[in-house]
Amino acid sequence: MIAASGSRSTSGYAGVLRTLGGVGGHFGRVRAPLGAPHLTDASFAAFLVLPALLGILLVVGFPLLYSFWMSLAQVNLLRTTGPALEFFGIRLPLFKFVGIDNYASVFVDPLYWSSFWRTAYFVLAFVAETTVVGLGMALVLQESFPGRPLMRSLLLIPWSLSRVVVGLLWQGLLDGEFGALNGLLYNLGMIESYIAFFKQGFSALNVLVSVYMWNQAPFATLLFLAAMQSVPEDHYMAASVDGAGYWQRLWHVTLPAIRPVVFLVLVLATVNGFLMLDLIYVMTMGGPGHDTTTISWLGFQTAFAFFKFGTGTAILYTLTALCLALTFVYHRLLLRRFEADA
Amino acid sequence: MSRASAGAALGHAHVAVRSRSAARFVARRALVYGLVLVVAVWLIAPFAWLFVTSVSYQKHLLARPLSFIPPEVTLENYRMVLGLKRFHAEGQAAKILPSMLNTLIVASVVTVINLLVGTTAGYAYARYRFPLKTLSLYALLFTRMLPTIVLIPAFFLMLRALGLANTLSGLTIAYCSFTLPFTVWIMKAYFETIPGDLDKSALVDGCNRLQAYYRVVLPVSGPGLVAGGAFTFMLCWNEFLVAQVLNTKPGTTTLPPVIAGMNGQINIDYSVIAASGFLGALPAVLLVLLFQRYMVQGLTTGSIKG
Repeated sequence: MIAASGSRSTSGYAGVLRTLGGVGGHFGRVRAPLGAPHLTDASFAAFLVLPALLGILLVVGFPLLYSFWMSLAQVNLLRTTGPALEFFGIRLPLFKFVGIDNYASVFVDPLYWSSFWRTAYFVLAFVAETTVVGLGMALVLQESFPGRPLMRSLLLIPWSLSRVVVGLLWQGLLDGEFGALNGLLYNLGMIESYIAFFKQGFSALNVLVSVYMWNQAPFATLLFLAAMQSVPEDHYMAASVDGAGYWQRLWHVTLPAIRPVVFLVLVLATVNGFLMLDLIYVMTMGGPGHDTTTISWLGFQTAFAFFKFGTGTAILYTLTALCLALTFVYHRLLLRRFEADA
Repeated sequence: MSRASAGAALGHAHVAVRSRSAARFVARRALVYGLVLVVAVWLIAPFAWLFVTSVSYQKHLLARPLSFIPPEVTLENYRMVLGLKRFHAEGQAAKILPSMLNTLIVASVVTVINLLVGTTAGYAYARYRFPLKTLSLYALLFTRMLPTIVLIPAFFLMLRALGLANTLSGLTIAYCSFTLPFTVWIMKAYFETIPGDLDKSALVDGCNRLQAYYRVVLPVSGPGLVAGGAFTFMLCWNEFLVAQVLNTKPGTTTLPPVIAGMNGQINIDYSVIAASGFLGALPAVLLVLLFQRYMVQGLTTGSIKG
């Protein structure tokens, strides 16, 4: 998957270059005399990569470590004295080290475990809905019909909206007083009075799943469509000649061919499901009660509503670990499938 | 005339012979069109309704039975949002335009930084071998899977220590944490689609390696740059939580937190909030629709290869 594509040059090519006056084995180990004669290709590449990697180290690597340190400390935001990291006159407080106390207190908190199972439900439902709806839309858009390019652009609309707007517009559809979906059902005589979708905990959680799916499934569809386009047409022809109907072709030709992308969608949806936070903020604030409180929301609340950075980062770190473990499992799966296909 | 009737006769014979399969064909077309319609409504109706509510009066939204074509169309909500009409929550509405400007500044600067730094790195990953290449690629993959929110407590204290709390510069730095790994990845995938022979012949023609990159490869990389840039800009334009948490001082935040803040207030009509939401969504939607070809290509290649 991570191809070392720098190895494209052929030795013959490098040889030709050398005889041409040593312009240099580009992509190879030979020195390039022009421009920067003292730099090998590797140093030149390092020079190109360095700004980005240094930046990422500063804005991702360091904060990640610092947050981890906080999850092992008793963080008092008002305290300005005490141990600190000091460099170039910048002073970062280190707080009091307490070992695994924060994690211990998180793991005995029943709210953490109820949020954990709620998150598991949320992720499962979200992954299932995103994959099924994403694939369903791809199968529909794969058919030939007038206006197909236009339909494919429409896919980008839910996906390009800010989650604040996504929450806002679904509130406009589902609200108990002015929701358009309520209005539609009422006008059709299917309900007597408007439904308060967010009043009941489980219904609110499911609404969150579906709204997030509305926002994210189009991207899965784009991935599926890209994968379907690379399935050779003659595979379908051969299946048709053999008398295979639509569903048989889907099951025996399309799905096996796009299997790696199906797994990719599963990975991305799982991670996105675990990380979902902004929609909860906009639509339910974790309520009613704690009925839509997931781990990410609990960690966010603990850190930024109650300003308990120690406990909050500990909760968020359990989430990070969970995400990475799952990503690793899925990636292994993905690699094995690729190898099986090859 | 005769040819047409002959053709019609032939067609009839054809239909008569294969009427069952023809009926099935028609039924299948009808099913496809029906499903296309369902997908179209699912994708577009919610956003279209946001627009409808934004040009309606709240009292018409509360009416039962609800009328799906607004009985009265008004631009009053937009006038309130843009500060052209005074109303009881005008203090809230007055934040919209300045915060939009803040969003524009932060998103543009982050995009420029990403294109400058991320593109160069993506090129090196696509073309060269260097020490720690595989390791750093795995690290990049790891950062893409990371919950941004876990970094925010650290950013909170770091920016405070740097004196950048509640500033647009601080927000710009924080936004690079979730955009830069993406940009490097997308650009790497893009440069891998450009044949390496292009830079090789540039070297033969006497360019040095740096010139081969910015005189020969970059000029034909428009689609990739557009994909990476538009995606970065969209992410920043839409970002909500980081801005909400880091920039709490009035006047320093971006548009999404302002809209979310209005949404939390009961005394502001939904129709007014809908107007601000629609206004805020429009730039990102237009950007994505404008550059859709490049973005879809860039993002799907970037993801499938990732």
